Amino acid sequence: MADSSAEQAVVTTDLTKIYSGFARKRTVHALDALSISVGRGEIFGLLGPNGAGKTTLLKILLAVVKPTSGEARLLGRTVTDWRSRSEIGFLPENHRFPPFLTAIGALRTYGELSNVSDSEIETRADRLLSRVGLSAWRDDRIKTFSKGMMQRLGIAQALLNDPAVLFLDEPTDGVDPIGRREIRDLLSELRDEGKTIFLNSHLLSEVELICDRVAILHKGRLIQSGTIEELTAGETGYVITLESESDGDAEGRLKSALPTALHTEYSVEKSVNGGSSDQFSISIGATTPEELNEWIDQLRNAGLFITAIRPRSISLETKFIQTITDRDDRAGIDAGGKITGAGAGA
Amino acid sequence: MRQFLGSIKLTFRELWAMKITLGLFIMTTIAWIMLSFALSLDVVEGSIAAVRILGFENHAPTEAVRDLESGEIIRDEEGSIIRQGLSLDNFVLGINDFVFSLAYIFGTLIGLFATMPLVSGFLEQGRIDLLLSKPISRTKLLWGHLSGVWAIVFLLSSYLITAVWLVISFKTGVWQFHLLLAIPTITVMFAVIFSVVITISIAFRSTGLALVMAYGCIFVSAILAAKDQIVPQLSEFWGAVFVTLYHILPNYFEVMAGMMQLASDGSVTSTYPLVSSILFGVVVYAIGFFLFNRRDF
Repeated sequence: MADSSAEQAVVTTDLTKIYSGFARKRTVHALDALSISVGRGEIFGLLGPNGAGKTTLLKILLAVVKPTSGEARLLGRTVTDWRSRSEIGFLPENHRFPPFLTAIGALRTYGELSNVSDSEIETRADRLLSRVGLSAWRDDRIKTFSKGMMQRLGIAQALLNDPAVLFLDEPTDGVDPIGRREIRDLLSELRDEGKTIFLNSHLLSEVELICDRVAILHKGRLIQSGTIEELTAGETGYVITLESESDGDAEGRLKSALPTALHTEYSVEKSVNGGSSDQFSISIGATTPEELNEWIDQLRNAGLFITAIRPRSISLETKFIQTITDRDDRAGIDAGGKITGAGAGA
Repeated sequence: MRQFLGSIKLTFRELWAMKITLGLFIMTTIAWIMLSFALSLDVVEGSIAAVRILGFENHAPTEAVRDLESGEIIRDEEGSIIRQGLSLDNFVLGINDFVFSLAYIFGTLIGLFATMPLVSGFLEQGRIDLLLSKPISRTKLLWGHLSGVWAIVFLLSSYLITAVWLVISFKTGVWQFHLLLAIPTITVMFAVIFSVVITISIAFRSTGLALVMAYGCIFVSAILAAKDQIVPQLSEFWGAVFVTLYHILPNYFEVMAGMMQLASDGSVTSTYPLVSSILFGVVVYAIGFFLFNRRDF
């Protein structure tokens, strides 16, 4: 059950949103009794396929959309109280700043709307533009900005009121790899400053890199949540990548080198490099460091060249796809097509 | 207050950036410059001079007034011929009537057309959600936006009417201050019609429909203004429907007629058209605010 204390940055309790109306052909259950909580100082990632209800949740938290039932609180205040938004920053997906404004003009305008004083705006705006790498475009009109520059400006705008909680909807959308890295670094710095970051992103590899905790939404319900380690754990062991001269006998030498005395499950995958060597990956199951070293010794003795050893785990992306697929399979079995047994609190 | 002013400022900047304000300002300037030129024409100068030279500062007689049926010259109780003439007052009022009715109709129509992109921009996805995420109530946010639009219309109509009034007054020496009441009248009636635009836009997210409905109100009011002639021709039921519509919908053209009467003799026969129009605007704005506070964006 969600904690409704002010110690939590975000708390939702049985939050439900049903879109209906005379103009709609069918009723849409965007959120179904969703209960989550996000602690202060966390980077929280919200994942889910298209139509899972991520944006609806974000919009309810920002009072852009009204919930059908349930409750949502920001920093202890109910989200329907507009004052709850005085300590938050928001970067919407596909945001559209007035194109006639300059970068500094946009910060001034949205700063005023956030009730930031002129002196604070002047102090913070240039620092933020520098922080997101837009100092050189300070006085340029937004209509000349690329998508990546717009995102950077959006982040600066979201930070202008020095918020305690930052909501970012696809913050790296359209940003080049270097820019993404910079944004990730910025978010890490903000976390170190004690800010809570609520991140909605499709880029699971990025979420995996920066989020402390994630939640997976599917058809409006919370189906899994936890730390990255908790979600990607589950299998122990190692993956050994090795190379051998492509002399036609590499596979035979590998087979003879595989330890027979060790009762460890393993699997071998061969990928031909196309050059003068073959590459193999050996995924070995639960093992002790001593057993791992024995593997290494035997493979080296067989003339095989080890190029990498890494712990065996699944990526967040794999976990995400597995979770969604499992859920869809189970939902298919359910006669009503409705997901059952979900909605556990984070 | 700071956020409210910020919202107004944003509306102003957007209008300025869209060159709408500049366009209306230029059109307004051209209008009163042309009027200045017109008043400087020899024939007009001559007319004004003649009126003054004849020694009738305000009432220059030119022609005897005749009975419409018999054609006989009408005399007063003392037997003197009653004359109608080109008076400076009438001359000024004639120009004022022309300019103010143009300003009233075109000001509203062009104003509505010009402010449409502003409404659609305000409600655009990606803009409105960012605005709503700010620590400002929805009511205050909408007030700020509306105030910006009203203020622009007020400033532009003030510029046009005051400039025209000054040109005519300096030229003729006749200073009729009550003509300046055209400024609040134009602003108020624009605001009344704009209530339809904003409310329909919020309800249906369709600025095209909003514009059609607003222009529809103006068009219908032209028909409703002929209530006294039309209702006797209708059946009891349809007559009642017509009268109901007359009382519900804004009386745009009747207000204009009232404004012209005010300009001509400084009096107003009935304030009902203006009051009922304002009430219409208040109710429609109330619906707009209610929807804006309730709906999802």
